[in-house]
Amino acid sequence: MEDSSQSFMERMHTGKTSFIYFGNHVNPTIKLFMEQLEMSADALQDYGISVVKVNCSKDAIANYCTGEKLMTKAYLFRGSEVLRSFDIDTVFDVNAIVSHVLFSVLFNEVRYVHTPAELLRVESTAKQNSDIVVGHIPVLGLPEHRALMEAAFVYGTKYQFVQTSGTLVLKHMGVVDLSSSQARLWFLHCKGVSRRSDPCPSTPMRKPLNTINIHTFLQLMEAPLVTESVLDPSEVDVVHLHLGVPVLYLFSQPQTQHLDRATAQTLGLQLRGEVGVVLIHRDNPNVKTSLKYNAAYRLPQEDVKYFTLNSAEGVVKLFKEELLQEQKLENEEEDEEHWSDLDILDDEVSESVYRDRDLMLDLESVIELTSDTFQITVTQDDITVVLFYFKWDAVCMAFIQSYIEVADALEGMNGVKLAAVNCGEWTDICSDQNVTSFPTVLIYRPMAAAQLYRGMLGTKSLHRFILLSLGSSPYILSSSAEVMSFLEGDLYSKHMYLTPVKVLGLFSSTHDMGVTSFEEAARLLRGESILGLFAHKEAEQWVEGLSVNLPALLVSRGPGVPYEVYSLPSSSPTDLVSLIKQVELDRFPELTVENLPWYLELGKPLLLLFIGKEDSTESTKALAEIKQPLSSGQLDSFLPCWIHLGRTPVGRSILEKYLGFVPPLPVLVMSQLKTGEEVFLFPPERPLMAKNILQWIHDVENGQEQPAGLIPDGKWGPPVPFFDFLAIMDQEAPTYAVQRAPKMKTGGREDHRENKHVTPNQKQTPHPSSNPQAPRQHSEL
Amino acid sequence: MHVTICNHEYCVLGAGPAGLQMGYFLSRSQRDYIILERNTGPGSFFQIYPRHRKLISINKIYTGRRNKEFNLRHDWNSLLSDRPSLLFQRISRELYPNADDFPRYLSTFVKELGLKVKYGADIGTIKASDFNGNQGYILTDQNGVSYQCSVLLVSTGLWVPQQVDFLGSDLVEGYESIPTDPEEFKDQAVLILGKGNSAFETAQSILGRASRIHLYSPSPVRLAWQTHYVGDLRAINNELLDTYQLKSLDGLVEGRLEDIAIGKEQLYLTLTELLDQNGNNISKITGQNLPGFHTDNFSLRQPYDRVIRCLGFRFNFSIFDGSARPPQSSGARGRLPGITAWYEGRGTPNMFVLGTAAHSRDYRMSAGGFVHGFRYTVRAVHKILEQRYHNIAWPATKLPISQLQSWILRRVNEASGPYQMFGVLGDIILLRGSYCEYLEEFPLQALPQLSALSGRPLTDQGLLVLVMQYGLNRTDTLGPGRAESEWTKAWRSNFLHPVLYYYNTLPTEKDMRQRPVGWPLPRPEALHHMVEDFLTEWDQPISHSQPLRRFLEHCLQTDLRAFYAESCFLLSLTSRTPPLFCRQGYLRKQGIVGNSHLWQHAREAGLMADHQRDITPGDDTSVSEYLKHAGAAVVSTMNFDL
Repeated sequence: MEDSSQSFMERMHTGKTSFIYFGNHVNPTIKLFMEQLEMSADALQDYGISVVKVNCSKDAIANYCTGEKLMTKAYLFRGSEVLRSFDIDTVFDVNAIVSHVLFSVLFNEVRYVHTPAELLRVESTAKQNSDIVVGHIPVLGLPEHRALMEAAFVYGTKYQFVQTSGTLVLKHMGVVDLSSSQARLWFLHCKGVSRRSDPCPSTPMRKPLNTINIHTFLQLMEAPLVTESVLDPSEVDVVHLHLGVPVLYLFSQPQTQHLDRATAQTLGLQLRGEVGVVLIHRDNPNVKTSLKYNAAYRLPQEDVKYFTLNSAEGVVKLFKEELLQEQKLENEEEDEEHWSDLDILDDEVSESVYRDRDLMLDLESVIELTSDTFQITVTQDDITVVLFYFKWDAVCMAFIQSYIEVADALEGMNGVKLAAVNCGEWTDICSDQNVTSFPTVLIYRPMAAAQLYRGMLGTKSLHRFILLSLGSSPYILSSSAEVMSFLEGDLYSKHMYLTPVKVLGLFSSTHDMGVTSFEEAARLLRGESILGLFAHKEAEQWVEGLSVNLPALLVSRGPGVPYEVYSLPSSSPTDLVSLIKQVELDRFPELTVENLPWYLELGKPLLLLFIGKEDSTESTKALAEIKQPLSSGQLDSFLPCWIHLGRTPVGRSILEKYLGFVPPLPVLVMSQLKTGEEVFLFPPERPLMAKNILQWIHDVENGQEQPAGLIPDGKWGPPVPFFDFLAIMDQEAPTYAVQRAPKMKTGGREDHRENKHVTPNQKQTPHPSSNPQAPRQHSEL
Repeated sequence: MHVTICNHEYCVLGAGPAGLQMGYFLSRSQRDYIILERNTGPGSFFQIYPRHRKLISINKIYTGRRNKEFNLRHDWNSLLSDRPSLLFQRISRELYPNADDFPRYLSTFVKELGLKVKYGADIGTIKASDFNGNQGYILTDQNGVSYQCSVLLVSTGLWVPQQVDFLGSDLVEGYESIPTDPEEFKDQAVLILGKGNSAFETAQSILGRASRIHLYSPSPVRLAWQTHYVGDLRAINNELLDTYQLKSLDGLVEGRLEDIAIGKEQLYLTLTELLDQNGNNISKITGQNLPGFHTDNFSLRQPYDRVIRCLGFRFNFSIFDGSARPPQSSGARGRLPGITAWYEGRGTPNMFVLGTAAHSRDYRMSAGGFVHGFRYTVRAVHKILEQRYHNIAWPATKLPISQLQSWILRRVNEASGPYQMFGVLGDIILLRGSYCEYLEEFPLQALPQLSALSGRPLTDQGLLVLVMQYGLNRTDTLGPGRAESEWTKAWRSNFLHPVLYYYNTLPTEKDMRQRPVGWPLPRPEALHHMVEDFLTEWDQPISHSQPLRRFLEHCLQTDLRAFYAESCFLLSLTSRTPPLFCRQGYLRKQGIVGNSHLWQHAREAGLMADHQRDITPGDDTSVSEYLKHAGAAVVSTMNFDL
């Protein structure tokens, strides 16, 4: 359906839901999208949603037909209100359109959960109330997602629908193989739980996720666990037969009725969703089955088959391993593939380095050192930076790319040389230099001990470190004018772009005991910080009027920012180093990939503002609103900080993990990390203002706010099952890996080889697991 | 007689390679030691042996590598020291050097390292004695000089020729005294007793002169290249196999040595069962006493001009007083002293046996009887001495767990000790939670005594043992299917390859005794074989590194994958305990940043989340192309942005 501006305006007033795409021209990409869009029109019509396109070249509709997002976005309206906007590459085909649109429309009905804890919360409200359908959809917008959404639309009033994509929930549901990206569905029987403290029993759907299978599955979940009947098996009519599901018939006699019913219930539970269970009372004349059989089954489109079984486990085994084998077969194939998957690298660093295996590294700007050249080379220049690496270590090889970038950037600079030692070859150098961790970067200066580079292993950090290392540490300042120039960035302004932060040690005289300590600390911090030393009688002036006496530390965060002053206790150089590192930290930092560890170390809960990539006035305002209570110390127990999604795009994933979705920005969250698992979201409807924020913090602290998400306490166990050589040996060469029997003679090899065949192997001949005392046995079994 | 008594903490008996090797370690740790040598120079055995003057220990100078440790894998003659230039290749550039070069090398070794050797001290008796409650030893030389030693290190080697007693054994010449000029064997029929390297070496030297050479011994010839035991027949000595199999009048025969007799004048070989029961006079041997009389096609029916004994050597037990004598080994026909897994004499505390004499621990198994093997056992024994007598624990490198994999790969790719002493010396990794301690080259059979011998306490976190091993199938060394390249079948590797054992708790003596047949260690909790590699470079990501990582992950129950800083950033903010790599790297401000090129690879592989997509809408990306990638996307990119 195509809208003119007239019909568009009318539509806005109907209050109906519509999915609208605004475009002004057609390119091949758009053309494909349009085809998919038209196909979705039919599908969405069933749900009362119109699909509309607006040709902006004909009817320029304000707000939507302009701007850069034109062409690449589609919108979901309810009346004139925009519910959601979508990138057209998110809604790339009919399945994606239907699933995303329905997901948005059903936003209040379908709960999106991320963690087992969230799921448990949904369960606890649903208990004794309604059953829950949980869909695990690893990739949104695919047919499985659409099937779940369509089911939610139909059954949404009857069941609580839950969607998840988290692997934690998968684990919680007992899935072992987390590597498969298969969509899954479970039915949680919450309605019938007798006590609220009981967990909801769950039944997994074993068939692939599609509309028909979901429908069938939900019907089965409604069917009684055990149907009792007084007819012969072939006469019994149960819903399972209509749904193409096998049926198991058990026979009962009056004197054992109670036990038989219990057995049937147990089996019903074990086979729920796959097999229907019918209990037939033999005392009725309609039942003609011979007494020599105690059970029967009927597969879809087949006749009843009678058989005799000895135990309930046997029945389950029969179904699971034989009768339902068709489906099983598929799973086994997957298992086999799983082992060949072992040859796929699952480590992002290894894989990305491996994909470069055809590239020859251009080490031209880096000097490769050998045992013969090492000693001479590292004493030649002011600074020789040496990387110690292994060729076969992926992390080293990932870093060496950055290292070469730094070397290229510094090529031709006087006094700096970048070199590398391949420890696979020059193992003697690496041992002599006490390198035990790889990669390692050491900085050599003539006549000085090597300095370990402790920063991030990346181009920017290392480059910055080397440039800063070239300067003195500390800069010795001799007059107040020099101090001014140092702090305001005129002096040594070439470092301004490296770091705006400067730290100045103020001492009343060079004889002050603390000066040596400070100088030593400055040497340790060489390359990491810009430090000045002013040991002079004029130093007093710089702390005048402040509540601090000399010696003192003065921190400048760039021109125009007020200085901070701290008194400097007499302490060891290493303590001084940590003090300086601490005062350098920003009080309201922008968190980036490179600086986060410094701030996490503080161990405070985060008050984290996410701002969008466009520097909007809203973002600026929000930043200012948080800064306000900062100076008054009201946020001291927190680390207020922010993430700019433009500069740190991974922030978007963080929001998604916290909340399950990305709300309109800016958004303020509190995540307590070390102290708890909850993530709180500042209510989007409230204005982001200092007093509201403080009120919200207060509410959170008093437990008056509901968490919006959870930070899982995931145990980072092995990502894939390990390849068990012992198990394989036991299977393929049963005696090979078995400990000898106690008194066997320990002779020469030849003896052993003979013994091999007689060594008893307990593993191979397990005792048949008969269990005569199994309770609740069917009397006839 | 004038009696002199010298006191030393350590007495090393014998200035052969093992004695000098121990001397070096004692001197480096500044111990009070003396090396006693009865001859006038070091390595006197090599002044005589091998008789035909060609060493069969490999001196491979060119390996294509400059890694000093790795190169020792192919240098079988050098001793260990901290002088990089003190290698045998300084003396000889030959792959199979002349035997004279070896004592020359040893002299250089003594001189340059300033080792304390007392020459001309011929120790006649060794007695045990009590020194302040500890057993020590008193050695007395030919001049009556006594040496009181708290610890005795016996490195006397094997030099007493092994003999077998049979009728006519006095008519047999010994390897130690035969002429080495082939001309002396011109047109002679020669019977050699023995099928080892000395027998074949002798045969090879006279091959062009002797008319007929027969080698006789109980067991069939064992080829070193088939058994991987360097004490078996080496290919450089085996020309006779060629002439035997091409029917050029030479041959090999199996039979018990005790069962034969040699008749005088013409040297006939006969069997004891054919001699008169009461007559032991050899001159009485007549035609009827000869096997040919009874079996007309008996192999050795023709007489010989010479019979030569090449049966190897035995340990000289005679200098030990009863109080100090170690028992005879149970293996190796009792030719060697019996010793514990840490090379201390059984029943002779504070006396250790080093070098070839200590070969009973790995006889016919590994390289402990040869210079390139025992130089490492000597080093291991020295570490045990340091712990026991000086309380200096076995050296250990403390590593964060995230570095463990790369250390294992480093060792596997260069270490020479475990490579030469395969199945005997192995690296031990003591797991200690977030870090581990790495101990190199510990004698595996002493594992149950690890804590006492190394001075390293054990925790309940378990341990890993890294061993080099040959595989189980040793039948067809050159046949098809001899090499395994599939890492999942690594346990079927036939060639030397690394194996890792993981134990929750230290194996006990009983576990060790009952270990599976042919295994160096008991059945562990988990086991990992790294598939053999044609180039002995175990560094490939799919076949070597990743399977190793997954094994370590299983043992440590933790994810050991590496993550870029960006992933660690995400994981640090969204999970309460990020993966180990992030904790030990990124969160300690040492994250691996990477670059956009690498991230691109990781994203295309679906391993790293892609957040960039909505920043660059990519106008040129067609929908169909997008579809291709959609399947790989793991993280939703739903955009609720208005």
